[in-house]
Amino acid sequence: MNARPTVGAAATGMPSATAAEASPNTAARPPGHAGQPGGGPGSLATRQAGLVEALTSRNPVPDGFDAFRFEAARVALLRKRAGEVSRQWPMLAAGLGDGWHTMFAEWAATRPTQGSLRDGWDLARDLLARDALPRLAALELAEREAAMRYDGASSPKPRRTPALRFVAGAVVLQVAGRVRHLRS
Amino acid sequence: MAEAVANAVSGYGVGIGWRPEIAGFVAGLPGLRFTEVVAESVHADGDLPAGLAALLDRGVTVVPHGVRLSLGGADPVEPARVRQLAAAAERLHAPLVSEHIAFVRAAGIEAGHLLPLPRSWEAVDAMVANVKRVQAELPVPIALEPIAALFDWPDDELDEARFITEILDRTGAGLLLDIANVYANARNRGTDPLTLLDSLPLDRVAYVHVAGGAEHGGLYHDTHTSPVPQPVLDLVTELCARHRPPALLLERDGDYPPARALTAELDAIAAAAGSPRVTA
Amino acid sequence: MTNTWGIPGTTFLAYYIGTMAAIVVLAAIHRRILFRGPRDVHVDNLNPQQVAYLSGGERLAVYAAMGGLRTAGTIGTGPGGTLVETGPLPPGATALDNALDNAARRGVRARELHDDFMVVSALDQIRDGLERLGLTVSPAQRREARIWGFVAGAVTLIGAARLVIGVANDKPVGYLFVCLVVSVVITIALLRVKRRATNSAVRALRTLRRSHDHLKPSQSPAYATYGVAGSAMGVALFGSASLYAIDPAFAAEAEVTRVAAYGYGDGGATAGATGSASGCSTGSCGGGGGCGGGGCGG
Repeated sequence: MNARPTVGAAATGMPSATAAEASPNTAARPPGHAGQPGGGPGSLATRQAGLVEALTSRNPVPDGFDAFRFEAARVALLRKRAGEVSRQWPMLAAGLGDGWHTMFAEWAATRPTQGSLRDGWDLARDLLARDALPRLAALELAEREAAMRYDGASSPKPRRTPALRFVAGAVVLQVAGRVRHLRS
Repeated sequence: MAEAVANAVSGYGVGIGWRPEIAGFVAGLPGLRFTEVVAESVHADGDLPAGLAALLDRGVTVVPHGVRLSLGGADPVEPARVRQLAAAAERLHAPLVSEHIAFVRAAGIEAGHLLPLPRSWEAVDAMVANVKRVQAELPVPIALEPIAALFDWPDDELDEARFITEILDRTGAGLLLDIANVYANARNRGTDPLTLLDSLPLDRVAYVHVAGGAEHGGLYHDTHTSPVPQPVLDLVTELCARHRPPALLLERDGDYPPARALTAELDAIAAAAGSPRVTA
Repeated sequence: MTNTWGIPGTTFLAYYIGTMAAIVVLAAIHRRILFRGPRDVHVDNLNPQQVAYLSGGERLAVYAAMGGLRTAGTIGTGPGGTLVETGPLPPGATALDNALDNAARRGVRARELHDDFMVVSALDQIRDGLERLGLTVSPAQRREARIWGFVAGAVTLIGAARLVIGVANDKPVGYLFVCLVVSVVITIALLRVKRRATNSAVRALRTLRRSHDHLKPSQSPAYATYGVAGSAMGVALFGSASLYAIDPAFAAEAEVTRVAAYGYGDGGATAGATGSASGCSTGSCGGGGGCGGGGCGG
């Protein structure tokens, strides 16, 4: 194995500093290479947009991709997002228990991430509206609602004024940034 | 310039990625000389993440590792993100920064993860243009990390080694080689990881990532939440036999095991690379 | 029109306010000396349960033990908020650990642990040990500190007597009434001496908290990595929010009093302040990014 020439060194064949100057390496490049500039139908921008959209929705797998692997990536992505949200919203995840991953994946499959804080917040509010928010998660949501102002469309901001919040039986008071449970 | 990147953290041995969850464990490693922090968690003003300042005071080198610049995106990299990365490098007095050969968003939609680029000349051009925009703002060199991908684009024009080398050549960037990604890609594509190792410019390696993963449904997922498997450690040994990298870094991102298990992993990496242990 | 007790109202008020102020100042000085504690105290050698007792009393000491035993997998919760034994005791278990494990085997309700005879005796041991080390204020010192409450009470009574006489004689008593209300509040405050740790111990705890800031719940500490002692220490230094971070469902079922961890006044856990493991993922930036965890690692 060690006897094999290292292709990298052979191909570069010169000190890396000068390799950087020698760009672009047009010699090996096919003339008139594929890919239209700008946002044409086959352009990089269009193809990347199509890929991200397919990955974050239930859209069909884009043409030419291995459907099995693409689906695996979609599932892995949702699992990773679920992990990130559960770190940010531990009581929401714990409240849903064994059903957390399925529940999150179902909810998030058609919602591209807005960051794990907002994702968890949106999900908790959705569950509350459906009367499906577990007690443990209600405590956490009440704390967040009392501590921060979130309009559902942009980053939550810390509240500067005292706030009292009632969420599914949990009562939380926030004064000067300190959050107290009045009833849980 | 690439040589400067390759030497930026030379002789640093084995490190571990700094995460808030295991900050106490990282701080307790007596021989630690370098670590990596997610660049987006270091802000230009305000406090450093708790515990990082103490590491810097101890003389530990901290490298900001960007994950959200989307350098491989067709659109120009967002200037605010570049400024933030540059500010992080300055705050940490870092000898270099690193990012990925990947994109994470398109048309305003966040993917939530690092996505592979088509290995086309157009993608090389887009990536190179963005790296150059970043380099113009950065006070230090940048190293680029090829990612692990569960799927490939249908119409690749270059093979992986050529694609990576082309980007490095045209930008002068260093290579952050993730040996677990090399393993994952080879395993999922049914190719020989050593073939890729033999075709990469190993003299450009700034440092090396090592991580664990797990198999789900016939595919190997580079999760960073499992122990480093033996084949990945063997690849570390193979790599060091070809070209000794300046430093190796264990990445762990969740399902953190007891401290003694993390210690054993760091020791195993050191043993595989033939470098001194950092745990005692 | 004669003055009550031959003293003009303004003169009385001046003396009254002056006396109360002097009492407050003297009480503060007295307490400062009384609660000072030994000059050099070391809390580094204390176990997490002792630290918890020092910083939050019996309840927190029990919570700290619960945190450690939960991480060790020794205890869990059963129906009706009872504790159940789910595994063996970890090596180096303390008397309180043993008491909790024993209570778990008997299915004691978590909220009633504080009254369990074995737990009570283990807590007594912790309290006595801390007292011997000069870290806690003794009951005798607390009684001594309370003296100023009685003095303030006596002065308040004199004021009250003048108020009654003044009202009977149709004298103006508005200012005196305000002073009385204030002095009642002062009296109650001086009588309630709940101090546990000496001043030097409080300072030592503060230092300990700083050197263990990786255990702040806002860091989402990897309790498995920090182990039994780390988990217990997290609860000891950062309160019951740590127990909710160790295992939210367990803490809720055990009816642990939740003190929210989200306050941002003390550099707590609001979004954006601390990046999470992979990518910043919080309020300050949108979604995406992050290495590992998913299909395509970086």
